[in-house]
Amino acid sequence: MTILELPSPRLEEWRWADMATLKAAADAEPRDAGIRPADLFLDGDGPRLLFVDGVFEPAHSRPGPVKVARWAPETVHPLGGMAEGEGWVLSLEAEAAVTGIQIVHLGSGGESHVPARIALGEDAVATMVETYAGTGWANRFARFDLARGARLMRSVRLLQADGFVSLRDEAVIGEAASLVSIFLGAGGMGSRIDGALTLTGKGAFAEMGGALLTSGTQKQEAAVAVRHEAIEGTSRQLWRAVAANRSVASLAARVEVARGAQQTDGEQSLRGLLLERAATVNLKPELEIFADDVKCAHGATVGELDARALFYLQSRGIDEARAKALLTHAFVADALGRIGDDAVRAAFEADAARWLEAAL
Amino acid sequence: MLKIDNLRAEVDGKEILKGLSLDVNAGEVHAIMGPNGAGKSTLGYVLGGRPGYEPTGGSVTFAGEDLLEKSAHERAAAGLFLGFQYPVEIPGISNVQFLREALNAQRRGRGEGPLSGGEFLKLARAQADALGMDHEMLKRPVNVGFSGGEKKRNEMVQMGIIGPKLAILDETDSGLDIDALKAVGEGINRIMRAPDKAVLLITHYQRLLDYVQPDFVHVLAEGRIVRSGGPELAHELEREGYGAVAA
Ligand SMILES: Nc1ncnc2c1ncn2[C@@H]1O[C@H](COP(=O)(O)OP(=O)(O)O)[C@@H](O)[C@H]1O
Ligand SMILES: [Mg+2]
Repeated sequence: MTILELPSPRLEEWRWADMATLKAAADAEPRDAGIRPADLFLDGDGPRLLFVDGVFEPAHSRPGPVKVARWAPETVHPLGGMAEGEGWVLSLEAEAAVTGIQIVHLGSGGESHVPARIALGEDAVATMVETYAGTGWANRFARFDLARGARLMRSVRLLQADGFVSLRDEAVIGEAASLVSIFLGAGGMGSRIDGALTLTGKGAFAEMGGALLTSGTQKQEAAVAVRHEAIEGTSRQLWRAVAANRSVASLAARVEVARGAQQTDGEQSLRGLLLERAATVNLKPELEIFADDVKCAHGATVGELDARALFYLQSRGIDEARAKALLTHAFVADALGRIGDDAVRAAFEADAARWLEAAL
Repeated sequence: MLKIDNLRAEVDGKEILKGLSLDVNAGEVHAIMGPNGAGKSTLGYVLGGRPGYEPTGGSVTFAGEDLLEKSAHERAAAGLFLGFQYPVEIPGISNVQFLREALNAQRRGRGEGPLSGGEFLKLARAQADALGMDHEMLKRPVNVGFSGGEKKRNEMVQMGIIGPKLAILDETDSGLDIDALKAVGEGINRIMRAPDKAVLLITHYQRLLDYVQPDFVHVLAEGRIVRSGGPELAHELEREGYGAVAA
C-alpha cells in the first residue's frame, strides 16, 4: 500500500479521519498481543470464526454455515476497495435462521484486509457479534443484501489496544427487511466506522448507531449515510460519543430521502459528552429530503457532565471518579440498549464499564 | 455532634455566609428559618461540600472531625445527609442502582461489607412502604418524571435507606400537598428522632414544624443567625414576619 491511495483529509467526508494513525498501524512491526483468542468469544454454541491478521484460523473456529473464500469487493469506497483477500460469506435461504454467529479479528501489527458478504433470503434471520482486538490496521468491508422480510441484528465491538480499525458497510435492505448494526468503540485504537445503507423495499428498517469512547490522543469516527428509496421506510441513527483527555470523537450521520419515498420515518440522534475541556466531539447531522410526507427527527448536542447530578451522587457517598463513571455509563446506555440480546448487551456494557474504569 | 463556628463562605466570589455559628447536639432537632435569599441553601451546600460553595473562614466540626477538610462523599460516609431543595433528575440510572451503590460505598468507607442485591432490595422496599412510595418507582431512573412531592418522598426514602447521623433537610416541605407533608414529617421523626441522631431542618414556613417539633429555632438573615429560641419562635415568625423578628 502506498500513502497516495489513502483518502485525503481535504475531502469533506474524510476531514476528521485519522489517516496518520492508520498509516502508522499499517507500517508497525508485528508483536504478540498476548491475547488468548478463546477469551474474545462470548459464551454460546453459534458458529465461530477467528481471523488472525486477516487469515482464517480453523483451530479456533467452527464456521457452520459461514463459508471462507477469497475475493475482491466491488466498491468505489477508498478503504473498502482495499479489503480484498480471504474473507467470509453468509448466505441464507428463505426462512433460514442462524443466531449467535461470532467473528473475531485479532491483529498483531501491520495491515490486514477481510471482505465479508451477507445475503439473507426472504424472512431469513441472523444475529452476529464481531470483535476486534490486538493491534495493527484492520480494514474490513461488508456487503449486506436483505431480501423481503429478512432480519439481521449485528453488534460490533472495537477493542484493539491500539492501531486502527476501518469498517465499511454497504447494505441493500428490501421490503419489510430489517438491518440493525450497533457499534462500540472502547479500545485504544483509532477508528473509522463507515456505512451506506439503502432502503429499497417498502417498509424497510435500517439502523446504525452505537457509542464511541475516546481517551488520550485517540481519534474515533463514524460516518454513516442512510438512503430511503422506497415508501414507509424507517431508519435510526443513535450515536453517543464520549471524549476524555485530548481525544477526538466525530460523528457524521446523513439521511437522504429520495423523491417518492413517502411516509419515511427517520430519526437521528447525535450526542457528545466531553469529559475534559481539551477533548473534542465533532457532530455533523445532515438531512437531504426530496419527498414531502416524511418525518425526520434529528438532534445534535455536545455537553459536559451535569455538575448538579455529580454532586447529588457524591452527596450520597459515591466518590467523584465512580460518580463520573456512572453518569457517563448512563449517557451511553440508550445507544447500547439498542442491542436486543441480553447477554451480548451485558458483554458490551461490561466493555464500556472497563473503559470508564480505566479512563476516569 | 455539629459545631459551626463563625463560618464564612462565598459563592461566585460573593460572600453569602458572614460569620455563622451554631451548635447541634445528638438527639436534637434544630429548625433554621429565614427569608428567601438569606443563605439557608448555601449553608446546606457548604456543609455538604458542593463545589463552588467555598468556605473562606471559621470552622465546622462534625462528630469530632474537621468537616470542611473532607470531600462530599467522605462527609456522607461520616454520617451526614443532605436533603435537596431541588432533587436532581438522573436519566439512565435507576433509583435502586444509585442507592445500592451509594449505601455500599458508604459501608466500604466505614470498613463494613456490602449488602447483597436481595438484602438491599428488602431494605429499599421497607423504606418505600414506610413513605408510601410505590415499589415501581424504585426501578425508575432517579427522580425522572417524578412530581415535586414524589421527589421529596424519594429523598426521605434515601435517608431511610442510608440511615445518617445528621440530616440537613433543605425545604423538604416545599411543594408538598398535605398528605405528602404528613408522610414526610412522620418519616423524619421515624428515621431521625433518636438519641444518637440530629436534624437541621431548613424551612421557610411553620407548617412542617407542626409534624416535626423542633427543640430549637434559629432565624438566618443576611448570612448569620440573628435570633435563636424555642419552638415558640417559629410561631412568632409566622405571626409577625421575618422583618419584625430579625430586626
Ligand atoms: N449558584 C449561585 N450562584 C450565584 N449566587 C448564588 C448561588 N446560589 C445562591 N446564590 C446567592 O446566594 C444568596 C443566598 O441564596 P440561598 O442560599 O439559596 O438562599 P435561601 O436558601 O435562604 O433562599 C442569594 O443572594 C443567592 O442569589
Ligand atoms: Mg433555599
